[in-house]
Amino acid sequence: MLYRKKWPLLIFLVPGLLFMLMFLYLPFVENIKNSFYDMNAVVKMPGTEWDFIGLENYKKLFTDTDVRVALINSLKMMIVTVIFEVGIAFVLAVLVSQIKRGQQLFRTVFFFPVVISATAIGLMFSLFYNYNGGMLNQILAYFGKDPVLWLSPERAFTMLAIPTVWSYIGFYFVILLTGLSDIPDDIYEAAAIDGCGKFKQVFYITLPMMKTVFFTSVTLAVTGALKVFDLPWVIAPNGAPQGLTHFLGTYMYQQTYGLNNYDYGSTLAVLIVILGVAVSRCIGFLTEEKDEKSKRK
Amino acid sequence: MKKKVLSLLMAGTMAASLLAGCGGGKDDAAANAGDAADAGAAGTEVQGEAANEEAPKNPVTLKTVSMFGGTDPNKVAYEAINASLKEEYDYITIEDNSQTSDEEWKAAVNADFSVGNEPDVIQFFTDATADTIVATDKLVTINEIWAEYPEYAGDTLESALAAAANTDGVMRAVPTTGYWEGLFCNKDLFDQYNLELPTDWESLTTAITTFKENGVIPIACSLNNVPHYWIEFLMLYSAGVDEYTSVPETAPEGWVKGLSLFQTLREMGAFPEDTDTVDDAYIGQLFRDKKAAMQLDGSWYSGNIEDVENTVVIAFPGVPEQKAEAGSLVGGISSGFYITRKAWDDPDKRDAAVKFVMAHTCQAGVQQYWEAGGAVAQAAVEVTPVEGASPFAQSIAEYTSAASAIVAPTDSRIGDAYKTLVSEIVKVSTGAMTAEDAINEALALIK
Repeated sequence: MLYRKKWPLLIFLVPGLLFMLMFLYLPFVENIKNSFYDMNAVVKMPGTEWDFIGLENYKKLFTDTDVRVALINSLKMMIVTVIFEVGIAFVLAVLVSQIKRGQQLFRTVFFFPVVISATAIGLMFSLFYNYNGGMLNQILAYFGKDPVLWLSPERAFTMLAIPTVWSYIGFYFVILLTGLSDIPDDIYEAAAIDGCGKFKQVFYITLPMMKTVFFTSVTLAVTGALKVFDLPWVIAPNGAPQGLTHFLGTYMYQQTYGLNNYDYGSTLAVLIVILGVAVSRCIGFLTEEKDEKSKRK
Repeated sequence: MKKKVLSLLMAGTMAASLLAGCGGGKDDAAANAGDAADAGAAGTEVQGEAANEEAPKNPVTLKTVSMFGGTDPNKVAYEAINASLKEEYDYITIEDNSQTSDEEWKAAVNADFSVGNEPDVIQFFTDATADTIVATDKLVTINEIWAEYPEYAGDTLESALAAAANTDGVMRAVPTTGYWEGLFCNKDLFDQYNLELPTDWESLTTAITTFKENGVIPIACSLNNVPHYWIEFLMLYSAGVDEYTSVPETAPEGWVKGLSLFQTLREMGAFPEDTDTVDDAYIGQLFRDKKAAMQLDGSWYSGNIEDVENTVVIAFPGVPEQKAEAGSLVGGISSGFYITRKAWDDPDKRDAAVKFVMAHTCQAGVQQYWEAGGAVAQAAVEVTPVEGASPFAQSIAEYTSAASAIVAPTDSRIGDAYKTLVSEIVKVSTGAMTAEDAINEALALIK
């Protein structure tokens, strides 16, 4: 046993617990409470009262077409992040793990977008997409083509998904590369002796042995997609164009701080948390080992 | 034993670092305690200038907030007045947090007032936008200030003070200048395509069609960000002054007709292709770069105009079957400097806050603001006319002096509900939502 007396550990754990209680759990409980009131300001102004409205805001969730758009976009973003963020990151990780020299260079290059602030990336991409004088339209103009409205209602989601995926590939790349390095070399060597090619090694050795790392990556990608906010807000604020690129995070922000609809914003926050927990539980269930499931039975 | 000492040391360091942020507050509290001790003396000493010169003042840090930030043309005047105030009274330190006003900034101001983090002096709206902070009773009334400082707001015209009264009729703010909204036109573009400046709906649609055909954006406007000015003028001219200034329970016919014109204008190609995605700063740049011919904006935008020889401001051209008289404009006095109770109850800050507001609202201060705004806005004091005005400034003078009616904008009457109306304008312009539904949705939020 490392520590015979455990009480000193409490000294280190309690401040963190108090911090979480004060800045996460208490505000969340307060947020749930707020969703049942008609708030006229972000906090109760002296001399004013808020009317109790019960489940009105929750009923509104079902009739609000913008919530439907935001929900569909968030679900689409989950699928996109899993397929492209984790998928491309895995391909890159496998390729980089195969090379002997320059591995560190690729690690740095692919991870670099993760350390740039989302606001800066958003600003950069909005300059790419600008209709008047944006980089993409300048390139088109150079080749004598007409300018394209990159953030048109038809293209806007794709145009927002591209920087979102691009900026996070490096994050999953590092996680997956670390997982790959944990697979012992002798398994690959034994497979090679048995005549297993590089491509088959990926399917029969790498993928099965990376299950837990994939589970972590997919959970992070899916819950991250639910919280996506900064990039879409910088590139296409207020769900532009025409409210079609709203995500749950951006819609919640617009309702809360744009329209001062604080109670409805609180309701949307509750929805995001419920969805986040539900989705991560689903992924946990789907990726659980078969023997663990049978043990539970 | 070593482990114990080490763990206690680390825990102590953590606790110390957590509490470090509170250190300043403690110092402030101590300082405030000192201030409070001096309160009795200070309360009586601030009666006259002679007394001020004799008694050394305690250092005072004033927390100030204003809308004169960002690209606002008043920013330079505001900062210059602050600098000279600090030079004159070296015991006053100003911690200023000025920003351009937008919806998020207004929400932040409300939040600060509700949690007791309000500034000592704030330059803010006086209309329905201020209702929430007025309800907190944290703003000192001018009558209360006059009881102790009879010279307060001495240069301000009585009519201007009355115009800056809050919606409950109580005067709390001291105004500097008023504002107007009008149609900025790149006259050189009109000349280039042999177009007259628009004076009615027909000439406006002719200009829009001609510019569109020649690859010039007819109207610089971001429907997704700031369609406010178009909302105001389309509703004012379609509804007439009486209906426009009413606070109805359901969508009035004139309001609906006015907002429906957003779809007409959009279908004519009046707005930029990317009007649904760009912001107001980008739109302003399009106009100044001569890529757009017209922009409906407010007096605060005039400071951004560089080409003062070829830019003019004219009256809103009008709408089909308009009810408002030609030349009606949206404008008035809707902001001013407030002193908060937090500063008023602190004897040292009280005097400094009064000095601060008086520096900004005295004749010399307002003259600076007035000149910064093009020397043509409605001033809250008697101002000295400026000679050698540019064609741009002259056009503003002609526009504002010829106004047939000056009406305050809708948000001054319906408050936060206006934000919901603004947020639905893109849908109204595309036909995804009717103007009537958008107005009714907003009106339903008025409490």
